[in-house]
Amino acid sequence: MSGLAWNIGYGHFLVLAAVLFLIGMAGVLVRRNALIILMSVELMLNAANVTLLAFSRMWGDLSAHTFALIVIGVAAAEAAVGLAIVVAVFRGRHNVEVDRLNTLRH
Amino acid sequence: MSRALIILTAALGIAVSGTPALAQTPPPEQCPAQIQAGAAAALPGSRLIDCRREKSDTRKIDGQVLAGTILGFHARVALADGRIVMLELSPDGKVVGMTDGHGDLVGSSGKGTALLFWAFALASVVGALFVVTRRNLIAAVMGMVGSFLGISAIYMMLYAQFLAVIQMLVYAGAIMVLFVFVVMILNRPEDEPVAPTGRVGQVLGGVAILYLVGRLVLILVQVEPPNPVVAMAAPLATAEGYDWGSLRAVGTNLFGPGLFPFEAISIMLLIAVVGAIAIARPLHAEDDAPAKVRSGGRVP
Repeated sequence: MSGLAWNIGYGHFLVLAAVLFLIGMAGVLVRRNALIILMSVELMLNAANVTLLAFSRMWGDLSAHTFALIVIGVAAAEAAVGLAIVVAVFRGRHNVEVDRLNTLRH
Repeated sequence: MSRALIILTAALGIAVSGTPALAQTPPPEQCPAQIQAGAAAALPGSRLIDCRREKSDTRKIDGQVLAGTILGFHARVALADGRIVMLELSPDGKVVGMTDGHGDLVGSSGKGTALLFWAFALASVVGALFVVTRRNLIAAVMGMVGSFLGISAIYMMLYAQFLAVIQMLVYAGAIMVLFVFVVMILNRPEDEPVAPTGRVGQVLGGVAILYLVGRLVLILVQVEPPNPVVAMAAPLATAEGYDWGSLRAVGTNLFGPGLFPFEAISIMLLIAVVGAIAIARPLHAEDDAPAKVRSGGRVP
């Protein structure tokens, strides 16, 4: 047990990424505020990045760094468009609770 | 010459005492004697397979040729139990580092590294829990900033220095500021409870999340590193110095094999910027009026 606590290996980083991903997923599933859902998605993307970088070190392959950089770019674009949608929805309906956005339901 | 022979025989003697079967193969020619002696002294009972001289590039600056200097040696050594490790030696035969075939130091991470890892892992997880549980949006955003800073430190521990800095600039700097702006535009705290209604829903959700956590952790714990003796440690030096995860290394990769995704993402960012403006723009001028009245009524 003390070996697990003091001897940090790749497994620690991977499990940390898994925990972060699941917290993000729980946020997406449980919360109703669209902003929190967007932030949880960002958290999941970050967890994926941690996994990428851990595997990059494990296999000695730098291309995962490039990929992580591209993931960061995608996350930035996603945040911009997502927040624009949130603002547009708020302008029309004066709330951003995803449960109440059910006009398209029939 | 005689001194070198003595060292050589001493090294061979150590090798013979450790693994008699391997002693017949003569040590490779290109390894200088001090390298063989250094390797043998560092790992008794091992056998030197080959070694490689690390030389800095010969450069031409203003017509003058600068000859490369010898930085050190990399020697492949077979241990008595069959594993192969890479030794990093200085030009005079002192062992600087020991790594496995993939460039990872052999041995365990120090306690300081472990403490730092736990501290930053705790920061990122607690920040993430803040995001998911807080009802106050600003508190959630601040938890997110803390989580991102912790994750950027985790990047640093994975020797991704450049990405760690980018993480701080892009996420903790830019994206979170954008979130704070939107939170302030909306200016509406979430009124409803976080958890889904009903005890059955709560229990089901909890069980599902626990199951997912268990499955993911079980899978990830089973991941075998390429070499079981691997632990977290510094990458090997290259001819340009310690170049793993630096701006130069990432840039070389980005503008080489990663050129197409790089160009694609520039187009995607352009589309996202235009799209964000197009979406957030009010369709008609009068559409904006009620929102203004409303937020004007809330803000004193």
